[in-house]
This record gives sequence, C-alpha cells and structure tokens, in this order.
Amino acid sequence: MSANPSSEGTRLVDGDLEDVRAAQVDRAAFGILYRRYLDPVYGYCFYLLGDHHDAEDATERTFLAALGAIDRFRDEGATFRSWLFRIAHNQLANALRTRSRQRTDPLDLVREPATGFDPARLATLADDTRRLRAALGTLSEDRRQVVVLRFVDGLTAREIGVVLRRSEGAVRVLQHRALRDLATLLGTSRSD
Amino acid sequence: MSKAPSAVERLDRAVDSILDGHSPRIAAADGGVDAHERPLIELASHLRMRLVAPPAAARFEARLGMRLAAEPAGDPLAWALRHPGRLIVTGAVGSAVGVGVTAYAVWRNSRRASGAHRLLHR
Repeated sequence: MSANPSSEGTRLVDGDLEDVRAAQVDRAAFGILYRRYLDPVYGYCFYLLGDHHDAEDATERTFLAALGAIDRFRDEGATFRSWLFRIAHNQLANALRTRSRQRTDPLDLVREPATGFDPARLATLADDTRRLRAALGTLSEDRRQVVVLRFVDGLTAREIGVVLRRSEGAVRVLQHRALRDLATLLGTSRSD
Repeated sequence: MSKAPSAVERLDRAVDSILDGHSPRIAAADGGVDAHERPLIELASHLRMRLVAPPAAARFEARLGMRLAAEPAGDPLAWALRHPGRLIVTGAVGSAVGVGVTAYAVWRNSRRASGAHRLLHR
C-alpha cells in the first residue's frame, strides 16, 4: 500500500491526506481512495465475518458511509485509513449483532473468494492456512481483530487503537496475548 | 531518563519490522526481543505470509464503484460552509442575475405602462 502512515515524532503523517482533501472538494476523487482500500477493507470484513457475501455487504456499507461522511474527516491525529477501518469496524459490529443468534461459519470451513486465487497455490498452502484460520477462529473477538488488522491489513498499534477505541498500549497487550494463544494452539510455543 | 521498553513494546517493534519485510532474525534484533519470545516473532512472520487479504471480486468492485459514483452529493450546507469563497461567488452571481431580472421586469412594465398611457390619452 503506497499510503501507509509514517511516524514523525509522536505524530502520524497520513499519506492519504492529499487524496482525502481532493475527495472533500470533488467527490469523483474518492475513487482513488476506494481503489486503494477496497481489498484491505474487504479482507478485514472477510476474516471477521467468514463469509464472502456478508463481507461484500459490510464493505459496501463501509464505503457508502465513508463517502457520505468524507466531509467530516479531519486530520486530527487519526489517519484516514484508521478512520475508514473504524467505519468498517462499526459495520462489522452491526452485522455480527444481526446474526448473533446464528452460528457463524468457523474460518476453517470458509470458502475462498471466487477470484484472485491460484488453485495450485491454494492446494499447496491449504492445510497450513486452514490450521491458521482455525486457530484464529478460536481467539476472542478483540484479539482476532488485532491479528487481522495488524497482519492482514498492516495497521500500526496506534491505528488499531483508533479502530477499536483502545489505547495503543492496550492494543500491544492484545497483540502479545493473541500471538501467545496462537503459538500454543499451533504448537509453536517452544523456544528454539 | 527514558524508560526501558516493556516486553509487549519490544514485541510490537519486532512485528513492525516483520511488516516492513524483514526476516524474523532481523526483526527480533530490531525489537530487542528476549530469546524465549523468539517463537512469537517466527509466528508473526508466518502470519504475515499466510494471512493475505483476499481480493474483492471484480464484479463486486465494478458494481460498488458505479454505486459510489452515482451517490448524490452530501449536505449542501456543510459543503457551503467548507467553501466560503465559492459561496460568496455563488451569492454574487445569484444577486447579479436577480438584479438583472428585476431591472428587465421594471423596464418592461414601464414600457407597457407608457404605451397604455398613450393609448388612453390619444
């Protein structure tokens, strides 16, 4: 991703800011942000919802809400992508609440999206990935969110804090515990 | 005097290094991670490689893109408040048009009135 934030002292420099300002003046410019963040937001929704169609639905709601609220985005500490993932997080919470009485498909049984995956590569990696996803599916929701936002979408601890409304320190603790849990589940916790 | 980073901070620093594309060995050194936590760095590297963001379907991308392009503009008042310069120009142009239309209407009325006056006193 070309617009990752960088740290300048204690303040995050938002690589998306120029494009956000353009989109606030001319909505057609939102297309750049849409193309940049469609896959990351979709990936976040997919990993948390475990279903291709529900992930598309949450992604669609996220971008429509973001476009509707783009005028209100201000460069006040939070990066655009943390703001966008915060919207996605709220959409996910709504989706999970709606189907809270239904059992969500565990991630190890989830089908891959229909496009973008090479079947031969999938076959080779299937077992390992399935084990990882199964382990991920057993984590508590906040730990799973941290793992997905950090390792799938590459957000910083500070950005994840904005998304989850937690402190940076709390996110680091969640990350540490999530990695420890996964190591235990996957049998990789022994020191070399 | 700066405080020494805690274990979770060192791990986070090492994860940053993994996400920047470094090997677990370099990442562990970057973070200053203790030996007993090294397997967590290996695991972090494994997660980074295996948990890829699945791409959205092309048909979905196109459909949502079209929907976003067709979305109506947001709150016009909010837009106007963010662009006071444009608001002033719009107001000035609107006033000029209004003055022009009023002047034309007055002129037309006066012409009709004078024509009627002439007819009455012929």
